[in-house]
Amino acid sequence: MKYKIITLTAVAILLAGIAGSVFVLTSKGGSTVVITQNDAVIREINLDLAPDETFDVEYGGSKNTIEIKNGKIRVKSAQCPDKTCVHMGWLSSAAMPIVCLPNHLVIKFADTADGIDALSE
Amino acid sequence: MKPKRIAELAVLCAVSLIIFIVELQIPNPFPVPGIKLGLANVITVYAVYHYKPYEVVMLVAVRILLASVFSGNAAALIYSFSGSVLCLLGMLLLKRVIDEKHLWLSSVFGAVLHNTGQMAAALIMLQTPSLIIYYPFLLVSGCLAGAFTGLAAQLVSARLKKIIK
Repeated sequence: MKYKIITLTAVAILLAGIAGSVFVLTSKGGSTVVITQNDAVIREINLDLAPDETFDVEYGGSKNTIEIKNGKIRVKSAQCPDKTCVHMGWLSSAAMPIVCLPNHLVIKFADTADGIDALSE
Repeated sequence: MKPKRIAELAVLCAVSLIIFIVELQIPNPFPVPGIKLGLANVITVYAVYHYKPYEVVMLVAVRILLASVFSGNAAALIYSFSGSVLCLLGMLLLKRVIDEKHLWLSSVFGAVLHNTGQMAAALIMLQTPSLIIYYPFLLVSGCLAGAFTGLAAQLVSARLKKIIK
């Protein structure tokens, strides 16, 4: 009986996680992207109007190369050890900012009045 | 503490570091920070059920420190540290409720708590509330990875019984 309750709790956590993931993945972002470092906004870019370009963002001697192409943005290469930001690919969802923890870098769609960011604050 | 005990802990620590380094070489297919199998925790889970709380804390503290040195990722230290603190607290309490036959269940909660600790650290460090969006993914991966490492630890435990008394 005890283990039934414990197992059910574990299953409930798993289901909550799956439901949350589906919710997060299905929400979409706008066209304005904000790049922040240490919570300070470095650049704001309107992806619909932005020309293709690549530029570097530095933090403590470690570089992230950011690429804008065809109205999409991604971290093209990075000098951090894990390269998670590079593997995240193009920014696609408002719910999934590209984050480089070692370099304190966050690339995300700008907050809008409605949508998922309103929920998370 | 007896020398034999210290030697056992040192061996366990070495084994978990080896597992950690081997796992580092496997490419991670998931692009979300914090999601990984955490195979080195097989040893942690085993130790929680076979050693005294302070011994487990020592083992894990040394593991985390050396792991961050070996992986060259000092920035990750704060995340693995906060995750491990929460995970160990939870598992040492759960040990009283869940017996060793259900070790994998205990491990699931441990993994979820670990991810919760990491999440909390990331929220505090980066001051970006929308990071919480990652949390559902961490929950799912925590449940799966926790169950997997827990089952592995049960197998390890059954075999080690013949060697370590």
